[in-house]
Amino acid sequence: MSFFALLGLSILSLRHHKSRSFLTALGIVIGVTTVIAILSLLQGLNNTIDEQFASLGTNTIYVQKMELNFGSGPGQFDFEEIAKRPDLTIEDAEAIAELPTIAEAVTTMSREVGALTHKGNEAEKCSLKGSGEGGEATASLIVERGRFINVNDQKRRRMVCVIGSYISINLFPDEDPLGQMLEVDGHKYQVVGVLAEKGAMFGRSQDNVAFIPINTYQKFYSTPEGRASIFGGSSIEVLPAEGVSVDEALLQVEELMRLRHGLHYYEDNDFGLNTQSSMFSSLNQITTIAWIVMVGIAANSLLVGGIGIMNIMLVSVAERTREIGIRKAVGARTRDILMQFLLEAVVLSLVGGAIGILAGLGIAGLVSLLTDLQATAMWWTIAIGFVFSAIVGVFFGIYPAQKASKLNPIDAIRYE
Amino acid sequence: MGPSGSGKSTLMHILGCLDTPTSGSYLLDDEEVSVYDEDRLAEVRSRKLGFVFQQFNLLPRLTAAQNVELPLLYSRVSVDEREEIVSTMLAKVGLADRAHHRSNELSGGETQRVAIARALANDPALILADEPTGNLDSATEDELMELMDGLNEQGRTLVIVTHDDSVAKHAKRIINLKDGRLV
Ligand SMILES: Nc1ncnc2c1ncn2[C@@H]1O[C@H](COP(=O)(O)OP(=O)(O)O)[C@@H](O)[C@H]1O
Ligand SMILES: [Mg+2]
Repeated sequence: MSFFALLGLSILSLRHHKSRSFLTALGIVIGVTTVIAILSLLQGLNNTIDEQFASLGTNTIYVQKMELNFGSGPGQFDFEEIAKRPDLTIEDAEAIAELPTIAEAVTTMSREVGALTHKGNEAEKCSLKGSGEGGEATASLIVERGRFINVNDQKRRRMVCVIGSYISINLFPDEDPLGQMLEVDGHKYQVVGVLAEKGAMFGRSQDNVAFIPINTYQKFYSTPEGRASIFGGSSIEVLPAEGVSVDEALLQVEELMRLRHGLHYYEDNDFGLNTQSSMFSSLNQITTIAWIVMVGIAANSLLVGGIGIMNIMLVSVAERTREIGIRKAVGARTRDILMQFLLEAVVLSLVGGAIGILAGLGIAGLVSLLTDLQATAMWWTIAIGFVFSAIVGVFFGIYPAQKASKLNPIDAIRYE
Repeated sequence: MGPSGSGKSTLMHILGCLDTPTSGSYLLDDEEVSVYDEDRLAEVRSRKLGFVFQQFNLLPRLTAAQNVELPLLYSRVSVDEREEIVSTMLAKVGLADRAHHRSNELSGGETQRVAIARALANDPALILADEPTGNLDSATEDELMELMDGLNEQGRTLVIVTHDDSVAKHAKRIINLKDGRLV
């Protein structure tokens, strides 16, 4: 029998048992849905990470209390020990800045603040960041108008601020922001600079930040709890000098910080050195773990789906013994019967796969719509869905099909 | 002919290459069939033989035409030829107007006639019918036997199993079976 005639046969037979076929394919549907949704989301996540790290594109080194290593899991960190680590100080930053390999080193601290206000205008959900001279370079920001914070602002603890574009638009919709006053947490600051728009990173706008001198910041916000906390503490942003590699600068900063903290050669660092690339690779580790988990889930549900198909095909072979007998009596060869039942299993699982692909893309699309994560489906994501369901169909369909094809015609005819 | 359990169906299945004898030999067209492999047997069933069973002859989900088409699909006849043969055969058994009825919508007599049309599809030399009238009333039986007679007159060999004298009287030769032996 020709391939298309056989294909027609299997579709006819599956349509005859619509609900049974659907339930059987459900395992495959769920498996492929999982694969497609997670693959698309991971692809989207990877793209976002790539883009955003590229947009940062800086060599900035972050000296912090702890190494940010997302991939290693919570068990890796001794939080009690980390909490006891010394704070990173303004003096540390000044010492680092003296190194010949370093262009800028700035101590920063930041916090979320409720709202910034100016004459009844409000900018909500902003963060306030203490920074210093050169802080725009270490954070790769561009000052569009006015100037950034300078040494004098720091020394004199001036009440000045440099604001992101979002704040500028919301507080000063139709005035020149330079020279204006704004209020945060009951303190008034004069605007001395406005930053160019930067866009969002991981769904968080970077344009709702107001910078104030770090010394001013510490005067208002440096509580004992703040100092002791792991995440709320200060960090030092370090920018290597022109022509100096990040690795070279890292070594020097590490050596200097060990010296300043009086560490012996056998003691571990009591500070963390983080770079874009170290954070990037640890994020990649997360996506790798997600991949492995996904492969596990998918393999599991495809296995369950495949066994379901095998089960139903065996039932179907038993039910259709008479049909097989008649077909053999009118000239069907072993391989005609084999192909008929195998195709039925493959079509079943391919239909499941197709529904799964649509559902997976639907879920990925929905997530993209509701969150900032932009799922991306590549052509090979869809190909993987089809290939996997075809493989499952063949693998789990071959045994029932062989059983059908090997039925003795006389047993099949006598069967009632 | 023979009483129930005398081995009529068994003989029929051996003749039809659906079963193999425990001992003895079966020559079809002067060739020993027992040495044939599965594919060769399928080929013989497809080209040389046509079957009509007592009941459950047709695939219930297919139409009359599709049932008649079945042997042609396995012998790889082209689409145009298939259509031609199917309509000729259905006309021959007087069911041209039933072509697109599903087989479970047909009466017992109609079902058997479709089975005959299907048996004829590949133009086989031999038609084997195992109690084809076993489930029919006598009027329908007469119609069916008339059809068989016509086929025989056109030169086709029919082997019919029955334990009914009214069917047997149509035959040119009667073989009696008892306890698995010719008598
Ligand atoms: N020649 C034979 N030798 C031994 N057993 C036989 C022989 N012919 C038939 N049988 C057995 O007798 C039983 C009934 O045979 P069957 O062909 O169904 O009879 P019928 O169709 O005449 O009612 C079957 O189990 C079959 O295996
Ligand atoms: Mg019998």
